[in-house]
Amino acid sequence: MNPAVHLDGITKRFPGVVANDDVDLAVERGSVHALLGENGAGKTTLMNVLYGLYRPTEGTVRLDGEPRSFDSPRDAIDAGVGMIHQHFMLVDPMTVWENVVLGNEPTTWGGLRVDREAAREAVVELSERYGFDVDPDATIADISVGEQQRVEILKALYRGAEVLIMDEPTAVLTPQEVEELYGVFEELTEQGKTIIFISHKLGEALSAADDITVLRDGVNVGTVAAADVTREELAELMVGREVLMDPATSPRETGERVLEVTDLCVEDDRGVEAVSDLSFELRGGEILGIAGVDGNGQSQLAEAITGLRETASGEIRYRGESMVGQTRRDRIDRGMAFIPEDRQERGLVMSYDLTENGVLGSQHDPPFARGGRLDWGAAQDHAESVIEQYDVRPPDADAEAESLSGGNQQKFIVGREFERDPELVVAAHPTRGVDIGSTEFLHDRLLELRAEGKAVLLVSSKLDEVQGLSDRLAVIHEGEFTGVVDPATVTEEEIGLLMAGESLDDDSVERAAIHDAGGAPDEVDGGAADDEGVDA
Amino acid sequence: MPPPAATGVKPMRNPLSPASLLEGASESGYVRSLIAGTVGMLALLGVSGLAFPDSVAGDLAGIVFSTSTATSTARLAAPIVLAGLGGIFAEKSGVINIGLEGLLIISAFVSVYAASVVGVGNAVLGVPALAIAFLAGIAASTFLSAVFAVVCIEFKADQIIAGLAVWLIALGLAPFLSTVFFGGVNTPNLGVSVGWQYSATMVVFATAGSWWLLNKTAFGKHLRAAGENPKALDTVGVSVSQVRYAGVLLSGVLSGVGGSALALSIGQFVGSGETMVQGKGFIAIVAYLFGNYNPLGTLGAGALFAGLDAIQIRLQQLGYAIPDTLVQTIPYVVVIVVLTLVGRTQIPEAAGEHYETEE
Repeated sequence: MNPAVHLDGITKRFPGVVANDDVDLAVERGSVHALLGENGAGKTTLMNVLYGLYRPTEGTVRLDGEPRSFDSPRDAIDAGVGMIHQHFMLVDPMTVWENVVLGNEPTTWGGLRVDREAAREAVVELSERYGFDVDPDATIADISVGEQQRVEILKALYRGAEVLIMDEPTAVLTPQEVEELYGVFEELTEQGKTIIFISHKLGEALSAADDITVLRDGVNVGTVAAADVTREELAELMVGREVLMDPATSPRETGERVLEVTDLCVEDDRGVEAVSDLSFELRGGEILGIAGVDGNGQSQLAEAITGLRETASGEIRYRGESMVGQTRRDRIDRGMAFIPEDRQERGLVMSYDLTENGVLGSQHDPPFARGGRLDWGAAQDHAESVIEQYDVRPPDADAEAESLSGGNQQKFIVGREFERDPELVVAAHPTRGVDIGSTEFLHDRLLELRAEGKAVLLVSSKLDEVQGLSDRLAVIHEGEFTGVVDPATVTEEEIGLLMAGESLDDDSVERAAIHDAGGAPDEVDGGAADDEGVDA
Repeated sequence: MPPPAATGVKPMRNPLSPASLLEGASESGYVRSLIAGTVGMLALLGVSGLAFPDSVAGDLAGIVFSTSTATSTARLAAPIVLAGLGGIFAEKSGVINIGLEGLLIISAFVSVYAASVVGVGNAVLGVPALAIAFLAGIAASTFLSAVFAVVCIEFKADQIIAGLAVWLIALGLAPFLSTVFFGGVNTPNLGVSVGWQYSATMVVFATAGSWWLLNKTAFGKHLRAAGENPKALDTVGVSVSQVRYAGVLLSGVLSGVGGSALALSIGQFVGSGETMVQGKGFIAIVAYLFGNYNPLGTLGAGALFAGLDAIQIRLQQLGYAIPDTLVQTIPYVVVIVVLTLVGRTQIPEAAGEHYETEE
């Protein structure tokens, strides 16, 4: 029997980036298939190909053995492929039944009237068949996130979906709702539906899926049965064995203490504690890597250190001076550089050209500021020198930032920040969405900076990156360090366990700053803030 | 795989049944209190007017309950209510049309111009001049709204600025054309006028039809989705642009009826100053906001504002020196009070935002 979904040699190229490289994926009817991988591994791109949002550069999509070509999501829906987005596509003030039938309303009186009774009946019938407990007359704004997700599933089923794609379905759910979702999966597959869900959580894939396909850097690195694989093996597949940098970048003399964080607590936008009692220090000539699943407090930590977010409590000392209550400007003036994770939001003004972007942060300082006005000649010279040194393409200081590819935007930001001659660099996901060549270049720059005796705090969800570059590696889980380890000796499996919130009882592990870590169930890793992670 | 979770969590039920005449419960309570308040005030006025016939209350009661006030209210309410209904369609779809005033002006002029070209009493292909006048006014208004729609939807212009442009274009163009064709900013009087009964009938039918369209048809659901979460509509395969074009064009059609009714009820286009429309397009916006995007509420609010205006005119005639400019500020004061204190007007989530579909 043919698999329900067969992606045959799918390659998807974007300008400068290969998002999917010759990916094969076969999903059996009535099974739950997890598509596992880190951010930027190409999971979402692959599903967008299946869902008709992207056309594959090469390769064929087969449903039940039949080759299909979708021009739009509409075609995919008609062919029985439904997508449930991470951010629900629901109209909040409308009712459940109105949302389910939206765009396919049953009508009477020659189309002049929506047949409310028929629509409600269809919704009730569907939710009873699959055991959903959803009130068809409830308003979307009044129901829980888990119920909203079930409404999304009902929408797809109402349109005749046989294959359901779910993008990070647990990201917005509470642990209990996650359990309920697994129950829904079971109901659906029992009735012959096929489910593919995207995830970057090992535990989730293991407990919910029948088969797991791991994507890394756009390549299918293996499809395994969930029953036959261990968490360690999965982590290894996900992260890969190879380490980009030669770990023989031997531990060097570290200099004076540049950054000292003591009992730091930081809240996220919703007022929930995102960083809990973190303590660590960072010396000149040292790279401290922070690894963890996205949304475990890394962003808030970086923002607190760089002055973009207020601290709730605790102390941040930079070169002996307390930074709490100091402004962003104060920190820039004292030589703290920041490579933000969202380069388009915080790194660049997209509608400015590179000359203008190049002076951002230095606009008050010589040689750019002269008697209350900007010296655009100096600014242009500066931008051109950054462009040349950091190989930004196209090499045009008058080009608007938005006309550059992601990798080149990133190179320009890194160049601008490094040219400030910083003492401390806080680099958040410096190579996210950047192609391999630029990634290596940026890694070299970070190592050069370290060689000059500067301090680097490197936050990344790419394990090979943090492991290859760091002198020490701290693993963060729910705002706490579950371990600070030596990247040269630690194994990926151990890091994977730490990332999942478990602790290690290994003597080889230096456990410098652990505060009652572990014990948390791995289903909750990531938490609700996961949606910050954007797949390339 | 874990077993299906126990269904311990009960969904929150919407305590209010949505199937009432006024779809949406908070909305219905709101409109109900508006109607109850108005009726109560009128009752109080009537009682005190009967008790003290020689007092101010007596005069006022006489005016409020007189036929002439009712008929002039119907005339004055038609452009407000019709443009307001149009505004609902545009804004529900996500395009804020503040150019309603301009649509009223252009249709008022074009209807009178068309009637004078055909000649009152004549007919073309059996269609009487006044009907042609209406059709011409509607066509002009719809055309202008189509330009507005293209600018806002296709070229993603700022809706507020484009809407102001619609108003300013009509404000300049109508008196100019009047000067070109008739030698003055005011057209000569046609010598006929459309009776208030016609205005009232059109208002009633348009209100009922709009209510049905918005609440009972698939188009109404799409319109609402386009204004609240266009992406949700797009992902189920309905073109957001098409729905928005339809919403804006409907605002043109309805405003065209309103503008034509206004001019033809007098038989003349007055183009001096702010023209004969005198801000009724803006009051229309106030009316539909006051009515919380519900056609019935818009009808009530429009009738209320028009009634106040009609009473004011009558009071002037009876020698009460009430400044008309003060009365004309009432709708705007009301809308500020409603929006700040009551705060129950639910502006569509995506109103004013452009929508671009992916790939």
